[in-house]
Amino acid sequence: MFYVTYMLSELRRRLGRTILTALGLGIGVGLVVTVTALSNGLDEAQAKILEPLTGVGTDMSVSRPIEVSAPGSGQGNGPFGQLSDEEREQLREENGGGRFGLRNLGEPGSKFSRDTFVSTAQLSMPEADVSTIADIDGVQATAGGLTLNSLHIEGTVPEQTQQPGEFGPPQAGAGPRNIDASSISVSGVDPRVTELGAVTPGEITSGRYFGAGAGAQAILNESYASRQGLALGDTVKLAGKSFTVTGVAKTPLGGQSSDIYIKLAQLQKLSGRKGRVNTIYVRADSASDVPAVSAEIEQSVGGASVTTASDLAERVSGTLVDAKNLAGKLGSALSIVALLSAFLIATLLTLSSVSKRIRELGTLKALGWSQWLVVRQVTGESLVQGLLGGAVGVLIGLAGAAAIAGLAPSLKATVATANQGLGFFPGPFGQGAVEGTTTSVALGAPVSLTLIVAAVGLAVLGGLLAGAVGSLRAARLRPADALRHID
Amino acid sequence: MNTLTGDVKPAYELRTVSKTYSLGGGQVHAVRELDLTIDAGDAVAVVGPSGSGKTTLLQLLGGLDRPTVGSVLFEGRDMAAMADGELSLLRRRTIGFVFQQFNLIPTLTAAQNVEVALAPARMKASTRREKVQELLDSAGLGARGEHVPSKLSGGEQQRVAIARALANEPHVLLADEPTGNLDTTTGAEILGLLMSLSRAGRTVIVVTHDSAVAARARHVIRMQDGRLADRSVGAGHVPAAHPVATTG
Repeated sequence: MFYVTYMLSELRRRLGRTILTALGLGIGVGLVVTVTALSNGLDEAQAKILEPLTGVGTDMSVSRPIEVSAPGSGQGNGPFGQLSDEEREQLREENGGGRFGLRNLGEPGSKFSRDTFVSTAQLSMPEADVSTIADIDGVQATAGGLTLNSLHIEGTVPEQTQQPGEFGPPQAGAGPRNIDASSISVSGVDPRVTELGAVTPGEITSGRYFGAGAGAQAILNESYASRQGLALGDTVKLAGKSFTVTGVAKTPLGGQSSDIYIKLAQLQKLSGRKGRVNTIYVRADSASDVPAVSAEIEQSVGGASVTTASDLAERVSGTLVDAKNLAGKLGSALSIVALLSAFLIATLLTLSSVSKRIRELGTLKALGWSQWLVVRQVTGESLVQGLLGGAVGVLIGLAGAAAIAGLAPSLKATVATANQGLGFFPGPFGQGAVEGTTTSVALGAPVSLTLIVAAVGLAVLGGLLAGAVGSLRAARLRPADALRHID
Repeated sequence: MNTLTGDVKPAYELRTVSKTYSLGGGQVHAVRELDLTIDAGDAVAVVGPSGSGKTTLLQLLGGLDRPTVGSVLFEGRDMAAMADGELSLLRRRTIGFVFQQFNLIPTLTAAQNVEVALAPARMKASTRREKVQELLDSAGLGARGEHVPSKLSGGEQQRVAIARALANEPHVLLADEPTGNLDTTTGAEILGLLMSLSRAGRTVIVVTHDSAVAARARHVIRMQDGRLADRSVGAGHVPAAHPVATTG
């Protein structure tokens, strides 16, 4: 107890230095707490946005994207010219419905109406791959999905038709003006697997998820329903087949957003793609299994590309990402500089204090205090300063976090869809021009107990560091020299 | 070696002790080839002009410094051969120091300043506080224990310092100009206190410029340029009881 009394009395004697040291450590630690809280807040915001799709970091989606060879590889001109023959053939087969000649539609002047499905910029896979992936160790659940664009074209067969061409929208001003074309995106969902898919029960905002039975049910995307003025109980037509709207859903940022969701089997049948899927949703047993499972899938399924939660996080853009980058780089640099400065200030002030107490420390040695006791005394004083600094730092950090939560504007995050990954490839009838999903999220700056403990620990570390340097100085004092010293 | 000691066991034996400091690229010979024996229970005054090596001698006797050459035997043990930890323990248990500037810790009370010397010893806090009070009582400061040094007179501060020096019941008391910062009357009181300690059986060695102090010591050692210039018997001498022997 005597040692503590002595420590406190000494800290009181040099109150100015004590306050300055504690404040220096406090500011450094407070900044670390604030930046860490901000960083945590940004992480939480991102996780909140991605959570519905990414589960708890265990979800992946498997697709088979079109691989584009490097420019100048001599495969001809245009977007398709960059694809391999095999890939082009596969895509031609899948998108054959999108290619037609106006001459074949009927006599010039007669009316026509045509529905067809084209795949998005992904090649399909056999549905058997779903089972293959399900058998991989570490996989908890799988579900197949098929996302296509439904093209509806109607009008009057023109007198002079455009030269039959390959894919691509009619040239402006040169095409027939009496033909209307519309495109909506449709996803087929396996209703047996409710936890995985393009839409899940948790995303239903009104109505209900797919029920049992063979009825033609459709779930609409909230924004599509709003745009088209559709409500529950209404009917939507796909390739001439009517579907009753039974639910409206809001898909998350980063999710596969389609206008209409129907049962997978129905879409496969309608589109003539029986037994084919182009997205396989996979959930791993644990987040730590994801890398291994991902690698195994890419090996087992030819041409498969696995998108994990971290891939999705990398595709997030917007002010959320800007803030994360700022917090990650500038914030961390600022914290490190502030912390190092605080440690340096604490060390210099401790050294200065020791220098002013040389004769006192010499007296202690003359009275029989061992080297260890003197070192312990000096370090103890620094430790108390560190604890004070930690307390100040936590207060500053809490204030900073509260200020961020109170003043920070809501941040926007955009996730590029898979289609946008091939932005140079417009696709037929505007396919591939689907906009990325944007959402807003309020920014918080949570300060956890762990962070508080870490902050105090950091300040104590700074105090101990300063104490160690001061103690080293004190320990090296020869009693005779110390007693000769004039304070 | 000439020896003039009688039957009394020596407290100190210095054998050809020299102490040299490096200063500004040169060498300062603070103590040169000193041979000296001081008996237990003696009261010795070390006098001499400034820079004659008095304080260095006291520091060598107190184990605060080590000789460059030679050996300092304290109660038969060579202090130069002891490790730092052993020396600390030796100082705490057997040697008390009194300084000209008192060297009290300004933020601690008189009682706590005395407690500083007892803190490293393993004893109950209550026992320690009782002992502190006894020491202050014996120093005539029983009622001043809760005062910080700045609230005490110079004489009172030196009494606190003496109480602190006696806390561990040392065999030897080393005092460096103990009356240097005190007025004549107070200085005389402090000197009386020190001499009474000697009479109680402790070895008291006082470095001083004060002729009154030298006059009351049993033996007087005069230093000059780091050497022993003269030794004499002081007014406090009791024949054949506590001689000081020197050689060289």
